[in-house]
Amino acid sequence: MTTEFVFATAQYDSGDWDSAPLLPANIIDTIARYTEINVAPTGVIAPLSDARMLRYPFLYLTGHLPVRFSDAERRNVRRFVERGGLLFIDDHNHDIDGVFHKTATEEIARTVAPLTELPNDHALYSSFFKFDGPPTTSHELNGWGDNLVHKHLLAVQRRGRIAVLFSSKDYSSEWNYHPDSKRFLSVDNTRFAVNLVVYALTA
Amino acid sequence: MRSLRRRLELGCRIGAFALLGWLIGTSIFRAPRRAVERASDRELLARLPSWTRTPSSVALHGTLDAAPTPVVLAWLSALRHAGHGVTWSGSPPAAVVVAEPVTAPGGGVRVNVAAPANSRVTVGDVAGTIDSAHVAGLGASFTLPLTVDSLIVRVNQQRQAVARPNDVPPRAVLVVGDAGWEAKFVAGALEERGWKVVTRFAVAPNVDVRAGEQPAIDTAHFAAIVAIDSTVAALGPAVQRFVEQGGGLVLAGASAGARSVSPLAAGAVGARVRRNVAANDTIGLGSTGFYPVTSVREDAVALERRASAVAIAARRVGAGRVLQVGYDDSWRWRMAGASGSEAAHRDWWSRVVSSVAFTPALPANEEKTFDAPVAALFGHLGPPRPAPVASSGNVDPRIPLAIILLLLLVEWTSRRLRGLR
Repeated sequence: MTTEFVFATAQYDSGDWDSAPLLPANIIDTIARYTEINVAPTGVIAPLSDARMLRYPFLYLTGHLPVRFSDAERRNVRRFVERGGLLFIDDHNHDIDGVFHKTATEEIARTVAPLTELPNDHALYSSFFKFDGPPTTSHELNGWGDNLVHKHLLAVQRRGRIAVLFSSKDYSSEWNYHPDSKRFLSVDNTRFAVNLVVYALTA
Repeated sequence: MRSLRRRLELGCRIGAFALLGWLIGTSIFRAPRRAVERASDRELLARLPSWTRTPSSVALHGTLDAAPTPVVLAWLSALRHAGHGVTWSGSPPAAVVVAEPVTAPGGGVRVNVAAPANSRVTVGDVAGTIDSAHVAGLGASFTLPLTVDSLIVRVNQQRQAVARPNDVPPRAVLVVGDAGWEAKFVAGALEERGWKVVTRFAVAPNVDVRAGEQPAIDTAHFAAIVAIDSTVAALGPAVQRFVEQGGGLVLAGASAGARSVSPLAAGAVGARVRRNVAANDTIGLGSTGFYPVTSVREDAVALERRASAVAIAARRVGAGRVLQVGYDDSWRWRMAGASGSEAAHRDWWSRVVSSVAFTPALPANEEKTFDAPVAALFGHLGPPRPAPVASSGNVDPRIPLAIILLLLLVEWTSRRLRGLR
C-alpha cells in the first residue's frame, strides 16, 4: 500500500450518486497532466454507510435527487470531517431551488454545520492555478437550471480549513466527459479541479 | 655475629622496657575518653542540634536507609569540618533525578529518574502525587504536562526535590514533502497541537505550495525539520548544518534514503514491510506497513521494533538529534483508525517532534533542576564505614603488664637454658 491520492466518489442511499460517471477519470487525467501528485489511475466508490469511506480523505458527492443520509452515513460523514477530510458536493441540477440543493444543504447543516459563502480570495482559488473566484460553467452561462451565475461557493470551515465545499455551479456536468476530449477545448475547463485536489492535499 | 637466640632475648628485653615506658606515659598523659553518637536517617534532623553542642571528640554516625536531605547533609559536612568524626553506613538507593523542560507548545516537564532495579518511584509536586512507576531496568521517565512549584520524587523511602525548569517556547517546524495525505496530516496534527508549522510541499516540477513565512533554515527560526519523503534533498546541505547547530530532524518513511540526508540518518532504508491488516480491520500506526531501519549505525539507538524490524531509531549528529521513523502513512491511522485515533495521531507526532526539537539556551534556573543525593553523600562524607567503637579512654594495665612478664620470662628462660644467669 502506498500513499497515493485516490479519487473517491461518495455513494449514498437516497439519490443518484453516480450521475457523473466520466468525471473521476477526467479529473484523474487532469491531476496527472498538470502535477506530480502520486494519483491512483482509477477512482473508487466509497459508500458513506461503510466506515471504510474514512480511508479516502477527499470525497466527491453529486446527484440530482434528494439527499437524506442514514444514521450510519451521518455518523461517518461527521467523523470524516472531524478527522480532517474534505467533502466536495456539487449540485448536478445547477438549481438552488432544486431538491438536491435544498436537501443537501439541510443535510450538511444537520450533520456538520451550516454552509456559508466562501470568499473569492480564499486560498483554494490560488492553490495551483489562479482564479478570481469559482470558474463559471457553460451550464450557468447557458441559463440552465436556476439561470444564475453563482459568484461564490459555499463551505463549512473547520480549524481554518475547508471541511465541506458546496458548489451550485454544476461542475459535474462541466467535467463529465472523456479525458481525450480535452484536446477540443481552447482552455481546459477542469483546471479548477487541480486547485481542489492540491488544496485538499496541502491545506 | 649474634645468634638468633641472643637476638630474641634482646628483642624481649627491649619490648618489655618499651611497654613499661608506654604504661608510665599513659599514666601521666591520659588519653581522652572516646564516645560515639548514632542516629538513623529519620532521627538525624532532630539530633543535629544536640550533636553540634557535643565535644569534637565524640564520633557521629548515621545509619542511612535513605540519603539525607541537603540541609542535613550540609549540617553533617559542617560538623565534619569542625573536627567531628562523621561517618555513615547503610545502603540508600543511588538515585538521580533530572527535570528538563519539554520543548513543545504545551510546555511541561520531563522528569528522568535513574534508580536501582525494582525500586518504586513516585513523582508529584506540592499538590500531591502525579504518577508512579516500578523500575525494571535503569530508571524511569515521566512527562508531566502541568505541575505546581517544585517536583518531589520518592525512590522507595528516599525523598528528593528538584525545581521546576523554566518553560521553553518552541520555534517553528518545517514540514517538507510531496503534496500528499501524509504531509498534509502531519502538518495538520502539529498545527492542531499548537506548533507553528511552515510547509513546503512539492506539487509539480519547480512548483511548491508553501505555507507560512519561509525564513532561512537555522536554529534561530526552526526547532525541527520533518522530512516526509526524498524531496528533502532539495534543501541541500542546509539540513546538515541545521542539525549540527542543534536542530532536530525527523526522517519519515523513505526520506532517509535521500542523498543529502542519508549521512545523518540512524540507518539505511529497507524494503517496505507489507501491511498486516485485512480489509475490515481497524487501522493502527504501522499496521499498513513501514520502511524498516536497516544497518542501524553503531552510534544510533533502536527505539521501536515491529515484526522483528526496527521501525524507529535515533541518533545524535553534532549538537542535534535525528529520528528515523519508518512510518510513511500514519494518516491512515488518523483517518480510519479506532475512536480517538485523531487525537492519538496528533499527540504522537507532537511527541516525535518534541523529542528532537532544538532547545535554546535559557538563563539557568536559580534553583537546581537535578538531584543526586547519594553522590552528594559520598562527596561530603566519603564512602560508608562501620560505626566507630566507643572507648573509655583508659587502657587496662593488666594486659601490658602480663605481656611484660611474658617477655621477661621468655628472656630469662632462654638465658638459663644456655647456662647464663
